[in-house]
Amino acid sequence: MSSESPTVKERLDPYLAIIGPMIMILAILLFMGVMEPARYFRVSNFSIIFIEAALYLPMAMAMTFVITQRGIDLSIGSIAALSAILMAYLLKIYGIPVWAAVGFAVLTGALLGFVNGMVITRFKVPDLIGTLAMDLVYRGFALVLAKGLVLARFPDELKMIGRGEIPGFLPVPVIIGISTMFVGYVLLTRTWFGRYSIAIGSNPESAEMSGIAVDRYRVYAYVLMGAMAGLAGVMLTGKLNAIQATSAPYFNLHVIAAVVVGGTSLFGGRASMLGSFAGVLLLSMMINALVTLRIEFFWQSVASGVVIILSVAFYTWVQKKDRDGSGGLVAGLRTPDNIKLFKLAAWLVALIGVLLAFGFLFAGGRVASG
Amino acid sequence: MRGIVKRFGGVTALDDVDLDAWSGEVLAIVGDNGAGKSTLIKILTGVYQPSAGSMSLGDQPLQMNSHSDAIDLGIDAVYQTLALADHLDPAANMFLGSELTRRVLGVPFLDNRRMRAEAERVLLERLGVTLRSMDVATESLSGGQRQAVAIARAVYHDDLRVLVMDEPTAALGPQETARTLKLIEALKEQGLAIILISHSLDDVFAVSDRIHVMRRGRCAGTVKTADSTVAEVLGLIVGAEAAA
Repeated sequence: MSSESPTVKERLDPYLAIIGPMIMILAILLFMGVMEPARYFRVSNFSIIFIEAALYLPMAMAMTFVITQRGIDLSIGSIAALSAILMAYLLKIYGIPVWAAVGFAVLTGALLGFVNGMVITRFKVPDLIGTLAMDLVYRGFALVLAKGLVLARFPDELKMIGRGEIPGFLPVPVIIGISTMFVGYVLLTRTWFGRYSIAIGSNPESAEMSGIAVDRYRVYAYVLMGAMAGLAGVMLTGKLNAIQATSAPYFNLHVIAAVVVGGTSLFGGRASMLGSFAGVLLLSMMINALVTLRIEFFWQSVASGVVIILSVAFYTWVQKKDRDGSGGLVAGLRTPDNIKLFKLAAWLVALIGVLLAFGFLFAGGRVASG
Repeated sequence: MRGIVKRFGGVTALDDVDLDAWSGEVLAIVGDNGAGKSTLIKILTGVYQPSAGSMSLGDQPLQMNSHSDAIDLGIDAVYQTLALADHLDPAANMFLGSELTRRVLGVPFLDNRRMRAEAERVLLERLGVTLRSMDVATESLSGGQRQAVAIARAVYHDDLRVLVMDEPTAALGPQETARTLKLIEALKEQGLAIILISHSLDDVFAVSDRIHVMRRGRCAGTVKTADSTVAEVLGLIVGAEAAA
């Protein structure tokens, strides 16, 4: 059989995942270099970015495995909150040592993740619904336990985990985050767990036929996910020196976004630990940039969404095999199908316009709300 | 295999089927859709357990509870779907489920470098195939090369004695089919017993030594390829012989 050398695309393929976020990170750096160089490019600011990112790194590491297996876990925010609240009670009421409490939180997270895995593999509840429901359950338990209380003022060792710094070196959360990423990289490329995760996501039937215990490895991924969510709960508690039942509401979406932006495919089989790292960094840098530019906090949500859409569209475009592209973008938009969709959109906009016009015509005086 | 019976609920998929395969020989199994070919090979490869009947390999009675038991006993299969994980590279696929490891501080880690070297060696020595690149995802290989990877996975085990191939040429073009048939010849000369399931009578007549015809869960007849014709086998498949 022929043995010509691999094409440029094939050579680039392994690095594809890192290119997308890297381009966007560069874009942010350039943009900020023009707009706000003085306030953005400061050691203290980058330290803020990294500490912010560090919180999400362990979860992004585990989520990479879950998503690679074609799974999803929406319950991580609640797992983080519930484990952290249990830990807080142990610390405050029973006064157990910090190391034991931290270990307890991580193991509790792992146990909750195990429950997720069992719900998905044994009860055959689809992962999206299963973890969505367990999210409600765990959040409910957290609320039952903590009511509306904010548990605050923890021992110094815990604050050290959340926002401490080893003098002359790196902040503690950053060390934790990067080491979990490194462990994740080794897990992904050098162990059965990583290899089988890719195989399961790539083709579950093939994996089964190759003698892989598919369900068991899926449970492993959820256990890892839970443990890392528990760890994130500990880090969050240490960082804020406070925890409450409603903490960490959007962990799930933020982490999934970071992993997907990093090139791990939601359709399974395509994993990139380095990409997840870059994805977390990108989201943190972007949010930080919005803060630095004094843009209203609520725009963050808009920006995150746009970044996710752009990056997923980018990967789909790059990975498309057959791209004959005659006529380019405009021709692509002018297919009969797309013209129908544009007409639908135009109708919707027009109807909204008419509705608003009538609304203003018959409008009364202003009414104070609340 | 002697007197194999398999029932799924009230349906009898296989009824008293005998099957012999000898080493250094290609046995083709043909039959219409639903004739019981797949069920038969799933029993042979340990995926299903027969409702009745017995199997033996050499002089040993066979008792298999799972596909991995069958692999341990030297029986493996290459499925029509190839059972490859498309996103992994060829070496990773070859060792999927039985990875080579290397212990670091007593912890087993995957030995990617050795798996790669071994994969290259097996592909070249046993199948005479050199892949364009060992680093690309398996999905970017051609159909024939993917087939070679799947076969290499089965033949990597030195104690492999029976290789079952399910529709190996179904999704291939003429050239790739010819290459795959050549692979089958090469493996036969290495002394494996090969069981080939195929719809393509052309391929069957090209490589097989004997043909086992399945019809409605029963063995409709076994013929020597050399003494037979396409028409006779076709007749057995559709049951014309019995009617005539």
